[in-house]
Amino acid sequence: MPDVKLVKARKTFDKGRIVAVDQVSLHVRDKEYFSLVGPSGCGKTTTLRMIAGLVEPDEGEIFIGDKLVTSLPPEDRDIGYVFQQYALFPNMDVWDNVTYGPTVKAWTEKKRERIGREMLEMVKLYDRADAIPDELSGGMMQRVALSRALAAGSKLLLLDEPLGALDAKIRNELRYEIRKLVNDLELTAIHVTHDQAEAMAVSDRIAIMKKGRILQVGTPYELYMKPQEIFVANFIGESNFLEGRVVRLTDDIATIRLRGDLKVRARRNEASKRNERVVLAIRPEAFEISKRQRKSVNELKGVVEKVRFEGTDIRYELRLANDDSVIVVRPSLGGEWFKHNDKITISFSPDKTHTFLYPPQGLLTELELE
Amino acid sequence: MAHGAYLHDLRFWKNRRFITSTFIFAVVASLCVFVLLPTFYLISFTLTRWTEVYADVFANPLIGDENWMQILRYLSFSLRLSIVAVALDFLFGIPLAYFLARKQFLGKSLLEDIITLSLVIPTSGFGVATLLTWTGVSGLGVLLGRGVVEASYVVPIVNVPFLMLLVHVALTFPYVVRTLQGKLENLEPIFAQASRTLGASAFTTFRKIIFPLSIPALFSGGVLAFARSLGETGATMVVASIHTTAPMAIVRWVSEFKLATASFLGFLLIIFATIAILLVDVFVQRIGAFKTPKSNTLARIGHQVLRTEKVLSGKLRWLKDIASLAAVLTIVILPIIVVLTSVGAYWSLDPDTGKYQGSVLYQLFGPPNYFSSLMSATLTSVLVAVISTYIAACIAIPSVYLIKRYRAGGTLRHLLRIPLIVPSSALGLSVLLLWGPSGLNLATPGIWLIVLTHIVFSVPVVMEPTIAVYEGSGISMYEGVARTLGATPYDAVETISIPMLKRGILAGVILSFTRSLGETGATFLVMGSDVTVPPLVVNMVESLAIPAALFASAYLIALSLILLLLFRIVVRK
Repeated sequence: MPDVKLVKARKTFDKGRIVAVDQVSLHVRDKEYFSLVGPSGCGKTTTLRMIAGLVEPDEGEIFIGDKLVTSLPPEDRDIGYVFQQYALFPNMDVWDNVTYGPTVKAWTEKKRERIGREMLEMVKLYDRADAIPDELSGGMMQRVALSRALAAGSKLLLLDEPLGALDAKIRNELRYEIRKLVNDLELTAIHVTHDQAEAMAVSDRIAIMKKGRILQVGTPYELYMKPQEIFVANFIGESNFLEGRVVRLTDDIATIRLRGDLKVRARRNEASKRNERVVLAIRPEAFEISKRQRKSVNELKGVVEKVRFEGTDIRYELRLANDDSVIVVRPSLGGEWFKHNDKITISFSPDKTHTFLYPPQGLLTELELE
Repeated sequence: MAHGAYLHDLRFWKNRRFITSTFIFAVVASLCVFVLLPTFYLISFTLTRWTEVYADVFANPLIGDENWMQILRYLSFSLRLSIVAVALDFLFGIPLAYFLARKQFLGKSLLEDIITLSLVIPTSGFGVATLLTWTGVSGLGVLLGRGVVEASYVVPIVNVPFLMLLVHVALTFPYVVRTLQGKLENLEPIFAQASRTLGASAFTTFRKIIFPLSIPALFSGGVLAFARSLGETGATMVVASIHTTAPMAIVRWVSEFKLATASFLGFLLIIFATIAILLVDVFVQRIGAFKTPKSNTLARIGHQVLRTEKVLSGKLRWLKDIASLAAVLTIVILPIIVVLTSVGAYWSLDPDTGKYQGSVLYQLFGPPNYFSSLMSATLTSVLVAVISTYIAACIAIPSVYLIKRYRAGGTLRHLLRIPLIVPSSALGLSVLLLWGPSGLNLATPGIWLIVLTHIVFSVPVVMEPTIAVYEGSGISMYEGVARTLGATPYDAVETISIPMLKRGILAGVILSFTRSLGETGATFLVMGSDVTVPPLVVNMVESLAIPAALFASAYLIALSLILLLLFRIVVRK
């Protein structure tokens, strides 16, 4: 059964000057929908290409099932691979594209016909079997590419930004379609994307990558609720970051003094000793916002500087009394709306916060995408 | 005030339109006069004097249709030679192009230079090198004490002279390699990758995906190689021994004043070349939507084929690379090395007979005094190359604009590719008949007639690389940007386009210069007493002054190496 293991895989380009993937170890379980997520150039695609055999690692080992495949050519790995740019062979029609795998594996004519028909019916394109790829829309082409990858019979599906070239609406439809196929056919899927929302929507587990390393692996819930690094807190969803120092510690609460001598209570997390420099992360949707003071914990006063209506949500940019700037997002169909220059009070519960040590190279560097 | 501004605008606009149409007229007129008219004149010449031609070729009072029989013989011989040469080009060129496009390795650029070298090398010098390598005692035969083959040796089965085949492959395979390599490098690697992830071996991927997708490139490379082989004269005359190709026949008949017969053969060659390139252009355009035919019969033997391909993709894949590399080294590099070392061997004595009369020194500076003829030929060659390249560039650069900007440009481009593939001796004959004493009598055979001939092929030679750069650079977008920033069309051309095209223009100019320097077939017909270097080399071989020919060849090869270096600096920058 196809589980996939990477053991300390490393890949450099340009004679070692660019480290694309740095000592990545990973275990993707059988029948799992696993996503590799990160900004451009983080090494996620190279990792996927190493699993497929399109790139050979400089160091480390790769297992598919129990088989060591590190230096096996792609055709011997029994995988299905879907490319961002579809890569449908332009010299063949849809049918020949889909049955390409069975053909080059010399399966019997009967089996080939059956599989080709099954796969095309599955993506609802059997009636377009005679079309040449250029005649199809992007969404259709990617569905053909998907059925082509599956027709070769592999239980391991590798998806390299499969939705990246599609329109937003199609992208949303197709992501659930792929997820359903993977479930129904009991496949193992590894999905590479830079779109965290896409990964959150379909994955069982996600690995967040940055600069060739894996920062955190977890379920969407874990990544959102318990980010282990500042970068993850910012990349999955969104976070406000407030700098401060620890003034008091109890079992699970740290009291932190922000700029302007504002004191707030937060989850203790990484804060370990008094007077330590920390960064407090709070998600924009974690705030309550009101024109009145309510005498609850963690109340901060401020002024509305910008209001942006985004459909589902309203997004406020606030200036706090200490001159820190904070983004607050509220559902547009619930509660009060505020205007430019309104004086407001925001509050948040300590258990909706995360505390991180202040990164040695600075907060902005830590959050950089490239 | 507003009215005045309006008037000013109007005048400016009218003025600009006037300039534009004058410009177009001038370019089109010079293209017609200098390039197209000479190319096609032979056709009209033959047709307007059809009775004369007919009488000479088909119904000669003395020999009947013997001339026609000879034309058929030479033509079929040339066609056979070219077809076999192109087949070998494919055999070695396809793996080589694939190898160059996919692999990075030490010495890759050297290998690419070697391939370019056989495009720029003056062919008569290369012919001497090949002749010496295979038939001389100082070449490959150094161990045997005699030549490896006789100069007249004919390869069995294909029935083609061995030496001619060698030079034709050496001089034409770069067309196949370079066109295909360019195509393969532009081919998205994901098609091959997709095929591999679906379970196809490297060899199967090549057969089912890469090969079908690069068929158009193979065809255009093949037709260029074929045309070059069909028209090759310089090297062919040197290694010809007792054989005669069609272009050689034209040269001979013109020197015997059998103009009617010569022009009929030239007419046929031009028609062949034109049809070939038009067919390929149409085919290549159509094949854009090329589909691999479905074949069920093949499926039955499929299993065996796939297994073999799997084996070939594994341990044996280096074999094809080594074989094609070895072929290139043997047919291109070896002769060059031999010719350079032989000059040393023949320097003061003929190593064979030990006589001073057979030495390079004696023939150059002794009574034969070939050195002074070589120097005056060099002067003529360089003068011709400079003048014809300069004029050609002046015509070609504005033509690029016409071709890319106007709808009729595509047709013009097709027409202008014809001089590139018309056998040059037919071209020379055409120019001779048009401008020469029997035509408009504008120039007598000599340096000016050579210049007029060389302009014909130099224009497309300068144009093609310039168009290639133009197409790859998004110039019209950048010009548009310049216009939105306030530049006039002429400012935009001057500040944006010309600097961007500079590399293409320079590459074209150097190629045109080398081609002019090495041209033999056409030059023979129009040079009169102003001999250039390549015909001089042929004359040396024909008068058996081998040591002098050796020296002149080494000299030409050295010259082309310098030009190659220049070309490389320009192209790689």
